[in-house]
Amino acid sequence: MKTYSENSTKTLFSKAHKDPCNHIEDIQERISDSPSIEQLINRNANVWRGCDMADQLAHAQSTGYPEFDNILPGKGWPQNGLVEIISSNWGMGELQLLIPLMRSIVQQSQWILGVSPPHLLYAPALIQAGINISQVLIVGLDTSCKDALWVIEKALQTQNCGLVLTWQNWLPNKVLRRLQLAAEAGNTLGVIFKHADNKNSPSRLRLQIRNSSPHNAVFNIVDITVIKARGNFQPLTTKLKIYQN
Amino acid sequence: MEDSENTTKRLAPPASYKAGVIKLNLPKKPTSKSKQGSGQAQIRKAGSLWYAIYLPQLLRFNEPQQQEYLNKLAAVLENVSSTISFHPQALVCEIRSSLKYFDGIDAIHEKVDQPIKEALNQLSLPDYFFYAACPTITGSLLLARADINALIYRKENLRSVLGKLSTKVLQLDKEQNRRLYNMGVRHLRDIWRLPSVSLRKRFGSELVDLLKKALGEAPEPTRNYLPPPTFSTTYDLPYKVKSLDRLLPLADELISQLCEFLRNRDLSTSHLILSLYHEKHKWTDININLRQANRCHKSILMLLETHFTNLIIPAPIVAMKIIVKKFDDFMGLNEPLLAKDKPSLEQHTDSNLNQFIDLLKARLGAQFINSVQTVAEHIPEYATQLLAYDNINGVKQKPKSAPLMPRPFWLLNKPKQLVLRSGKLYNHKSITIISGPERIESRWWSDADVRRDYYIALEQNGSRLWIYRERNRRKNWYLQGYFS
Repeated sequence: MKTYSENSTKTLFSKAHKDPCNHIEDIQERISDSPSIEQLINRNANVWRGCDMADQLAHAQSTGYPEFDNILPGKGWPQNGLVEIISSNWGMGELQLLIPLMRSIVQQSQWILGVSPPHLLYAPALIQAGINISQVLIVGLDTSCKDALWVIEKALQTQNCGLVLTWQNWLPNKVLRRLQLAAEAGNTLGVIFKHADNKNSPSRLRLQIRNSSPHNAVFNIVDITVIKARGNFQPLTTKLKIYQN
Repeated sequence: MEDSENTTKRLAPPASYKAGVIKLNLPKKPTSKSKQGSGQAQIRKAGSLWYAIYLPQLLRFNEPQQQEYLNKLAAVLENVSSTISFHPQALVCEIRSSLKYFDGIDAIHEKVDQPIKEALNQLSLPDYFFYAACPTITGSLLLARADINALIYRKENLRSVLGKLSTKVLQLDKEQNRRLYNMGVRHLRDIWRLPSVSLRKRFGSELVDLLKKALGEAPEPTRNYLPPPTFSTTYDLPYKVKSLDRLLPLADELISQLCEFLRNRDLSTSHLILSLYHEKHKWTDININLRQANRCHKSILMLLETHFTNLIIPAPIVAMKIIVKKFDDFMGLNEPLLAKDKPSLEQHTDSNLNQFIDLLKARLGAQFINSVQTVAEHIPEYATQLLAYDNINGVKQKPKSAPLMPRPFWLLNKPKQLVLRSGKLYNHKSITIISGPERIESRWWSDADVRRDYYIALEQNGSRLWIYRERNRRKNWYLQGYFS
């Protein structure tokens, strides 16, 4: 048995070196026999296509804004992973965007953890938004960056924090990748608020909030761009009425 | 005659008690003569001897509190006896086995008297108690209740001594006492004269059983004192250790011992201390507080590891010790019978969350883990507060009513003054007022008088602002929050 296999490899090599034409024919023969690309892709679990991802995410959590749902793969927030929300300055409606999600997470008796927020989170506003404040935890306004990252990672890994909010302006891709993996492990959604976009970020979803018109901002309406989402091909933008009045 | 002398003696004789009683503060100890005599042999034959302590001052407390006090006193009695049983307002311990060791009842009494009084003082209770000893538990209890400090060695003498006690020592209820009195019964011996069958009919079997037990004719089940569990284990390192990481495997070993201990006793712990000993330095204590009592090896070790990350030791470590400060009952999780039935998610969530917060506390310190709370106050900066999570634990907040006007998610720690330039407001960019005003006036009774008009505004760069203008003082404009 052993000797046979050795012989056969020898002959293959000798053929290829001696006669290139024969070699091409050989390949052609093989192609005609071999399965199509579709089949190959389907056979390998590690190969996937972006356009299929949208279907897999169909059971995502709705954002509460129908226009926004429409431009997200899976029609809503992803179940887990990192979401980056980029706004040029605070106060552009970035928290308002998450209110329906926060409400439903609190209703599922899960917790919301805020790590190093830039200002004081105002309790009456949370109550107004229908969020049970006893399920909101805030971790230190002045904890060091290293500790803050440790907290974020641990929180993402724990299964009972439904949502981890954090305000970190600049995180290297390596760190983001680590957090993304932690979020997948704990099946938790982590949201990072930041001012500047970080290209090639491994986050699952990157959103940008902009004024609806560049020179004349309108209070109620913002533009939301999905810069990157698993299962999306090109950036999609929609106008969103984030405040009802 | 000699026999009765050996077995029954009396102390300072109250007139009514004759043979069959020995007062405890008898100056003369049982002599060597008595030891050689037949009395000694009979003592051995007679079985146990029970020493009762009766504390009438406990009567005014409720049962759990009495139990707590008795538990503390039982620890004192442990010095003289291994079998201690609990009774209402009383402790009874077996002392026959320790008579020889302590050299007589007097020595035992002396050994107990002072510590019990000290313990009572510590519990701020009046420091007196009644005591007696006889071969039955109930008998010694009755004697102690009657305040007869007597010692009776032999069962045969019980009847004559107990017979003289008033029926009050039985602590019957009012109605039964009245009926006994009407029947002409004043002492226990009067009861013994009645036929037991009719007695059982009229007064229930409890009374009859009690009397039988007192005479040693019925078995006396006891509920014995179990000392509280203690756990403390030390590990002396064969060499000095400078790095805490090297300590972890050893800590692991100690924690497994601890978990084994807890598992065997079906306990868990919520507070333990790990002490690290150094040479020529004071030791370092690591307090490990658990929000939820636990005996999970993994989670305790993880907490310890987290504590180690922030710890700075003054000198190399030579020994390590774990002491459990607080034991709790073990609470297992209830799993649903059918796997796909509703899982007890909330319970799981709570326990997981507690572990998570323990971990955060170990790393950051409790002051950094906060919960947002509202305060019933009109002025925005006072209407919210961050409380350390520990402080609000267990206090369920009742749902508060929200203010009618929209409120921003972010509040600045200190309002920021805005610039007013040629009739236009500026923060970073120019500001347009969207709606308002909402007037808030409060604290006019104090110096910190607040009169403000609040507006919702939009900065040109897109920030939604909450600004106000003072109505008193300089009428300046301020930025107080962001609608985020």
